[in-house]
Amino acid sequence: MKPDDKPPIDATARKPIVPNRLYAPYLEASWGFKNAWYPALFSSEVGENEVKGVTIASHDIALRRVKGRVHAIQDRCAHRGVKMSLRPTCLTDETITCWYHGFTYGLNDGTLKTIVASPDDPLIGQVRIRTYPVEERAGIIFVFVGDEDYAPAPPLTADLPIQITDDANPVAHILDAHVYVRGIHREGNSNWRIAVENGFDPGHLLIHWDNVIVAATDRRMGLGARPIAEDAIKIIDEPNGPRGMMNMYNTRAYKFFMENKVIGMKARGKTPYYARTSVYLPGVLLVEHWPVPGWAQYEWYVPTDDRHHVYWEVLVGHCRDDQERREADYLYDHFFEPLALRDFNDNDVFAREAMQDFYENRDGWNAETLCAFDESVIMWRKIAARFNRGIQDPPHRRGR
Amino acid sequence: MASEEPGEIERAGVPVTLRFEDGVEQRIVVARDEFVLDAALRQGIPLVYQCRSGICSTCVATVVEGAVAPAPGRAVALLASEIAAGRRLLCVSHAHAASVIREHYPSTLIDRRDSPEELAQGESATIRANVAAVEWPGATVGKLAIEVADGAGFDFQSGQYVRIKVPGTEQWRSYSMATTPRELPRLEFLVRMIAGGAMSEYLTRARVGDALEVEGPRGAFVLRPRRASHIFIAGGTGLAPILSLIDALRRRSGPRPPALLSFGCSSAEDFFYRDEIEIRQWWMPELRVRLSGGRAARAASGLLRGNPVEAIAVDDIGGVETDAYLCGPPAMIEAARRHLVGLGLNPERIYAERFVAS
Repeated sequence: MKPDDKPPIDATARKPIVPNRLYAPYLEASWGFKNAWYPALFSSEVGENEVKGVTIASHDIALRRVKGRVHAIQDRCAHRGVKMSLRPTCLTDETITCWYHGFTYGLNDGTLKTIVASPDDPLIGQVRIRTYPVEERAGIIFVFVGDEDYAPAPPLTADLPIQITDDANPVAHILDAHVYVRGIHREGNSNWRIAVENGFDPGHLLIHWDNVIVAATDRRMGLGARPIAEDAIKIIDEPNGPRGMMNMYNTRAYKFFMENKVIGMKARGKTPYYARTSVYLPGVLLVEHWPVPGWAQYEWYVPTDDRHHVYWEVLVGHCRDDQERREADYLYDHFFEPLALRDFNDNDVFAREAMQDFYENRDGWNAETLCAFDESVIMWRKIAARFNRGIQDPPHRRGR
Repeated sequence: MASEEPGEIERAGVPVTLRFEDGVEQRIVVARDEFVLDAALRQGIPLVYQCRSGICSTCVATVVEGAVAPAPGRAVALLASEIAAGRRLLCVSHAHAASVIREHYPSTLIDRRDSPEELAQGESATIRANVAAVEWPGATVGKLAIEVADGAGFDFQSGQYVRIKVPGTEQWRSYSMATTPRELPRLEFLVRMIAGGAMSEYLTRARVGDALEVEGPRGAFVLRPRRASHIFIAGGTGLAPILSLIDALRRRSGPRPPALLSFGCSSAEDFFYRDEIEIRQWWMPELRVRLSGGRAARAASGLLRGNPVEAIAVDDIGGVETDAYLCGPPAMIEAARRHLVGLGLNPERIYAERFVAS
């Protein structure tokens, strides 16, 4: 007999696996998942010859655009550890220079090319700082953050939401041709995982119950939704592609509650709609048909450290020509950003920041009491534990 | 290799050149009754070694020229085919003529912090610890969890072991950590229960909080800094360091290589830690698993019939870039080594930790 890779499991001989052991690696990931593509800044935020500093999962990274191309290099001078982006100094097109003593590094490989104050220093050519892979797509600068020896980096598409194909009117994908992409990012004062889990939580509609966009568009939004069939949550595991899960709100696998008789509350609104959500490694949300049908909202919760993240809210649609683009700008400026990205999502930000103390200081990951609709939270944790490419160590442990 | 007459040996010894993988050569003189390893160490050339008794094969090297042979009457853990190919265990071999020996690692390996040979020679200390838990994951297996004292500065690498003084006795026993340094100050060990065994008897009366003396860490059975596919073979409580290595592999820098764990117990009744292995399969999509339950295992047990060595087939060897890590009783190690070499694995990429029940 050729040995089988996975022998059949005898259910009677087997102890049940405690759920939180299955997602234990997720609980270790306070500083985020490494070896993943994260958005660093919008393209418009790094002009020609500008240097901007960002921190992603504890990696300090300087972005410099030269002749149109963005380079990402460690934002810590090897000499005394200062951030070069604090006072950008660029003396040639191929280098970045530390403003302090003039350590000058090649943008392509991070090698020390010269030291302004010590041009014949023996360190020159011997020392280097690291660089990071960069992809600039759809008006966003993405950086591959993680182990320097993780090579080659997987394609950017592996860390983005899937292309929607199972819908009669599929929403745009961020890498489509003729795509319209606009959005904002802001600091979130919570651990990145708390933010992700809020993003697709089918039970948190109460915080959106009285939001302007819901009332003004007469949305028929339930009080909550609960998975009632096995196919309520679809696991996404594409070879060399996105890994994540989808809440199948558009099927009967989810039951929407429109009324709670105990407290006499009923869903309002007459316009039926669904805004299906899916979430992917390393922490990317796709909300289909939001804020209006045909559009999609992407969200990233990019870890900064273990208690802060950068919250990205990006709207994606299709525009074939300048006329449509002007119309989209009008909608974005006067409707989408103020009512969806700000007013509506401000409630999510409030909820995430309200959770932080419990999860940071009060053993929340153990002390939480999850209920029926939290199945998708648990599923996400398990999927994240399985499909991540590594767990980011805090800075003082890195390289151990 | 031309065999030389003993009369040709100089009184002071014979010159031997050690040629490392990175091209570096070191010349040493090996005296008539001296082992090559001892001669190198005496002359300040650090080599990789562990057991110094011709068994663990850590010090294996290849004779390119000259005459190097094991001391007469020494059992050496090499196959006849390996000896014919010039392989020698330097810790038990004499040089009978001027020789050139090829080492299968770069000279720089020795300078690496935490390198296997440095671990093997490194300092260990005695520290205080307390029992945190005793559990019974299998019919003949105990799990001992301890916590080392705060501020003891204890650290180790996955795959290493410590010696524990069995409370109430003067006896010391060696156990590999089943956990990784991330779980410090907690350490977990797997203990095979044996009638009359000092630790076995202690476990039946152990109380949480009992004070223990622990000495270590020891051993050089640690992950090698290579990118390759990995095969892990564990028998019984030999699973402990293997689990630690698998957890270290998961957390290691860079893309994760494919891995195969073959774990077996002597019978389905003695089988344990199925849940621990399933959890790791979930955490590591690239980890394949074979579970064996001995000669009498029935299909209903979900275990393969036979032992974890037989469960490895030729298709499992991911080419010459495969590293194998073995832990189990001596007979299993020897069988696994033979089997893997027979399947085409490079003998220098087989790393083993033997244990003896006591």
